[in-house]
Amino acid sequence: MSACDVVVIGGGLSGLVAAAAAAERDKKVVLIAKGVGAIAVGSGSIDVLGYEAGGKPVARPLAEMGKLPSNHPYARAGKQATAKAFEFFLDLCEKGGFPYSGSADVARWVPTAIGTLKPTCFLPRSMDPAPLEAAKAAVVVGFRGLKDYYPELIIRGLMQVPAYPKRFRTVIVDPEMAGRDVNALDIARWLDTESGRHACIEQMLTGIAPGNVVLVPPVLGTVPNYGVLEEFEKATTCKFIEITGMPPAITGLRLYDLLVSEIKKRGVRIVEHATVTRAVVDNGRCTAVVTHGVDRERTHPARSFILATGGFYSGGLEAGFGSAREPVFGLPVKVPESQSDWSNAFLLSGGAQPFARFGLDVDARLRPTDGSGKAVFENVYAVGRTLSGFDDAFEKSGNGVAVVTGYRAGTLVA
Amino acid sequence: MKGYLYDSDRCMACTSCTVVCPVAAATREFLGPKMVGPALSRFRRPALAPDLAADLCSNCKNCDISCPSGVPISTLNMLSKAEYYRHHRHRLRDWVLSHGQLMGNLATPFVPLSNLAIANPISRTMLGAFGFAGRMPLPAYVRKTFRKQFRALRQQSFPQKVVFFPGCYIDFYDPGVGLDFVAVMQANEYEVVVPRGLGCCGTPMVANGFPGAAERAVRRNVRALQEWTDAGVPVVACCTSCSLTLKQEQQELFDVPGAAELAARVYDATEFLLELRDRGKLKTDLKQLSGRYLYHAPCHLRDQGIGRPGFEMLGSLPGLEISDADAGCCGLSGSYGFKGDRYEVAQAVGDALFKKVRASGADAVISECGTCRHQITVATGAKTLHPISVMRRAFE
Amino acid sequence: MDSVTVVVIGGGATGTGILRDLSMRGVKTLLIERGDLASDASGRFHGLLHSGARYAVTDPRSAKECIEENAILRRIGKHCVEKTEGFFVRLEGDGEDYEGQWVAGCAAARIHAKRVDLKEARRLEPHLSRRAVSVFRVPDSAIDGFRLCWQNVASARRYGGEVRTYTEATGIERAGDRVVGVTVCDTLTGAVDSIGCDHVVNAAGSWVGRVASWAGIEVDVKPDRGVLIAFNHRFTNRVINRLRPPANGDIFVPHGPITVLGTTSSPVASADDNVPHVEEVLELLHNGTELFEDLPKYRILRAYAGARPLYSPGEGRAASRDFTILDHSTDGLRGLTSAAGGKLTSYRLMAEKTADVVCRELGVKAACRTAAEPMVEDPPRRLVTRARPFFPPYGLDLAASRLGAAFGPVVQGLQMHPEERRLICECEMVTLAEVESAAREPTTFNLGDIRRRTRMGMGTCQGAFCSLRAVGALVSHDLVADKDGKALIRDFLETRWKGIRPVLWGDQIREAEFQREVYAATLNLDGTAQR
Repeated sequence: MSACDVVVIGGGLSGLVAAAAAAERDKKVVLIAKGVGAIAVGSGSIDVLGYEAGGKPVARPLAEMGKLPSNHPYARAGKQATAKAFEFFLDLCEKGGFPYSGSADVARWVPTAIGTLKPTCFLPRSMDPAPLEAAKAAVVVGFRGLKDYYPELIIRGLMQVPAYPKRFRTVIVDPEMAGRDVNALDIARWLDTESGRHACIEQMLTGIAPGNVVLVPPVLGTVPNYGVLEEFEKATTCKFIEITGMPPAITGLRLYDLLVSEIKKRGVRIVEHATVTRAVVDNGRCTAVVTHGVDRERTHPARSFILATGGFYSGGLEAGFGSAREPVFGLPVKVPESQSDWSNAFLLSGGAQPFARFGLDVDARLRPTDGSGKAVFENVYAVGRTLSGFDDAFEKSGNGVAVVTGYRAGTLVA
Repeated sequence: MKGYLYDSDRCMACTSCTVVCPVAAATREFLGPKMVGPALSRFRRPALAPDLAADLCSNCKNCDISCPSGVPISTLNMLSKAEYYRHHRHRLRDWVLSHGQLMGNLATPFVPLSNLAIANPISRTMLGAFGFAGRMPLPAYVRKTFRKQFRALRQQSFPQKVVFFPGCYIDFYDPGVGLDFVAVMQANEYEVVVPRGLGCCGTPMVANGFPGAAERAVRRNVRALQEWTDAGVPVVACCTSCSLTLKQEQQELFDVPGAAELAARVYDATEFLLELRDRGKLKTDLKQLSGRYLYHAPCHLRDQGIGRPGFEMLGSLPGLEISDADAGCCGLSGSYGFKGDRYEVAQAVGDALFKKVRASGADAVISECGTCRHQITVATGAKTLHPISVMRRAFE
Repeated sequence: MDSVTVVVIGGGATGTGILRDLSMRGVKTLLIERGDLASDASGRFHGLLHSGARYAVTDPRSAKECIEENAILRRIGKHCVEKTEGFFVRLEGDGEDYEGQWVAGCAAARIHAKRVDLKEARRLEPHLSRRAVSVFRVPDSAIDGFRLCWQNVASARRYGGEVRTYTEATGIERAGDRVVGVTVCDTLTGAVDSIGCDHVVNAAGSWVGRVASWAGIEVDVKPDRGVLIAFNHRFTNRVINRLRPPANGDIFVPHGPITVLGTTSSPVASADDNVPHVEEVLELLHNGTELFEDLPKYRILRAYAGARPLYSPGEGRAASRDFTILDHSTDGLRGLTSAAGGKLTSYRLMAEKTADVVCRELGVKAACRTAAEPMVEDPPRRLVTRARPFFPPYGLDLAASRLGAAFGPVVQGLQMHPEERRLICECEMVTLAEVESAAREPTTFNLGDIRRRTRMGMGTCQGAFCSLRAVGALVSHDLVADKDGKALIRDFLETRWKGIRPVLWGDQIREAEFQREVYAATLNLDGTAQR
């Protein structure tokens, strides 16, 4: 494989942002992706910091970051890089024709498919919850057969939110879909079509009135733009809010498509369906990484490497009984001595899960360190969930850390 | 035990494969790769009757490309199809579509009569009755197969050799691509070898549920190539489904001695040339070209984990303007789109690509895969080329 | 205060078997269970319907009992039983002498044990260890303990039997030397009640001693803990036993798409703790790997633990798996019978013997008919054919066998409302109609209850997808009491977590991260609300 400046390993959010940031600085970038990454599992909103360690909600995420311990990825990336990273991200979305709004200064609470609210910061316009806070009543649209969204469940939860309306109505739209079970992607594809949009609008109009606030599953088209949203708003003069939910997460997919197309525009070469299994190292430097295929190995030389392989779910970390490892570079992953200390007695325990904080320790330049705090390789950077020191699910910080550390690494590479 | 038996354990049901599956997007009758592959495979282990849920799978392998857990979903699908057809009869149509080599050997001596026999309205109707798509013309056989033409070719001898694996499409329908490959290699001081005894790579048989025939094809090819693989000579294919099968599919599905050693030497033609270029082994005084082209990456190339070497090569040719269509699967998937009951699905899958092609105004569409090119031409009328044919113009 | 003739305490196989037996003899019987049916040992074992071969050397009486009951259960409980047959496999290094004794023991107990050619054995079970030196086939089978209990109840209900789950017995009421009732507590609401009766049957399994103590009687049942591992795939089509003196981790049982490996044996003071420990799991894996060399590569779904109620002077495996019926009139109290010890395979016989004692005391003459009549009828063939298009591949057969009498109405629902066909659980192929059917049962209070009836949530994703869907659908149909459903989702995920936590490595740490990504990161089920 031809030499380049930077190889990014991993095609999730942190890898895509890292590739974009490096390409922005005119680096020749190759991104190697095993699959599509966890980005499509999440909702596409950029959660920055929702809860402090004790479980108290964070009202001002950016300010709260100052209180984080020094091994937290935000602390490692630094305040300046954090602010710039979000600017960079917003700019990417703007250029991609799917602008996000929000700020890391204030938490915003978005409704979910189980009727809870989730703290986040940056959102596509279609997920902006502001109209709901101002409304006296709202409508929840359900789709007949759609198996991951239940208006009643959403309403029962939202009714308990003091600042929210107490009156909710339900409108059920029938997409008239035969065959296999219906998921949000099916509905979004239906709304990609003109006939689907017309049918949907027509059915919705039987239950909504001009000026209504309307909650919908994340189905307003598969493409990263606001075409469907705008058409709906225009045809109904209502405000629409997309709710976050289970995978397949259409809002996450839109962000994924947007970022992939933005990095391609910036000349990043993507190698799909390739798993990096090991690195070639020489005297404290990595000179190449090696992908493994059923046929043979292939070598990808570069000057710098960004490790964006994710956590256990994505395979960036692997656990056996009593031990964990980082499979590409064999970097150390610290775990408690006893396996019973890996986790809490409850899955959703109201605190950080020890195993969720397992990962790579890094220095101030995001380079993985050995036990003594010294960088193992001078040209290898780690980003996103691969890092240690934070439980993204508990804190609600996963996408925020991915954006910040991805951006930071992209600006550090030689 | 083959890896896939426990690799399906790695499925997290994350739905990534369902999201990218072009067939699931095109028809609600398909349950989607997650369900048909890893989910149902748990139930296929017990001695229950085999199911045909995978029949709509076109084996395009977008599921495998997207899977974050490394589950060989399409392989699970092909295995379940094979298991089904171990207990049920095939359709004649599927036999014909998956035995292209045999059909080609029968038809070629009678060209153009055999093409007329296939293409005239009466036989089209009859083919329709056998389950062929009436609106999807089969590609026309050539009078002189690639192999025949190659034997008549006078090559300059060079110490560096490369084995060319023609595959059915180039051999029977599109020999020009094979000749272009030979020309490019000759220009770069390689001698091309086409060993006797090579045949179909086996992928159409796999896709249509003929695992026995596919395995026999694999064995024959491995045997025919053995002396060259033993000598360390690279084996190159211009058809991405052939190269994918030689590299991967034959190893995942069968246990043929020598298959792994062969796989380690197999290259897609553009991959091979890009590697030579990066090692400084290609001619650098290239002819100035011109033209605006649209590039379509075949799914079976994307699955190989080598990026888009053809696109990259073309991008570095002087004077050429090329853009990546990036519009997903063409829908034909080898033999799939020729079937009457799959035609609509295949057209729906390719629709995004067809729109891109029509809107591009490009001089031609470039793609490595012969059936992708056929599908694009039939659907849009666009002229299509293999990258090697464009490269020939630069190198000669 | 309600009044019945007999109250059965304990909703395991024995208790539900006694309920069925007495009901069929025309005795008005109510069963009370502190949790859901089969929530302890009857649902927390390897699911093996013994042929008796395992006891052929150590416990010939049990062996004989097993083979007889095995034949009966295959007949009357065919929808709970998967007729897999079993292999006994001796590995290199396992004593040859034992094989000889075992063959003789099987012959004596009339268990048909036939030697299988090694090549044939490998063809049938390709993943079995290469170190196998002798293989015998025996009529072992797999049995679904949850379904067995529910189908016993379904049968009993047809004869007037009743069940109250989540109803804990708290005391035995007596008048002089006679039992006159039991006091009970609703474990969900805390409401206290008493039920009048002429007779109490103590079928509380490992808790038999506790129940007897309320009447001042000592019954020394010793709980013996066994840990099991469920794997994601069915890598064996037969029950596989190690042909050596019974030890830990030498039984594999296939159940539908999964395989269960068991078990350990350790005496415990209390049977209440059913959380497995990592060390126990490791021991099982270590031993199991001798029979299946690729075992460390297979994905574990979860580990679980149960307690065998042993009643005999010995301890652990040395103790008999036999049962004893204690008529407490010999202790000076009339109207109390305890069913102590036993094992699932012979539950019906144990129930019969218990019912015999009860009937003798009540003066009921009717004879036991439980061995003659199937627990549930086969669904009509035409109905099955009609239902086929409503299910995904394999879903129909699974549903037909687990639904029993509810199959007809469910099919009707599926036909009339196509959206009911959607799969709530895609790992175990459970449709919305089945989930709703289970939810409508008056004995259903949470997702765990639905799980035990339908297998929802027992597959690969361990509730990651189905918990939201099930609760969403049930809330929409007003089938749950919970005000917003969140607690139901949470409780379900947490009970699944109990089994994942002891195996938190490999693919299950990935699954745990995924579940938290969905339920914590995206849906914020764990975080406190704002404002």
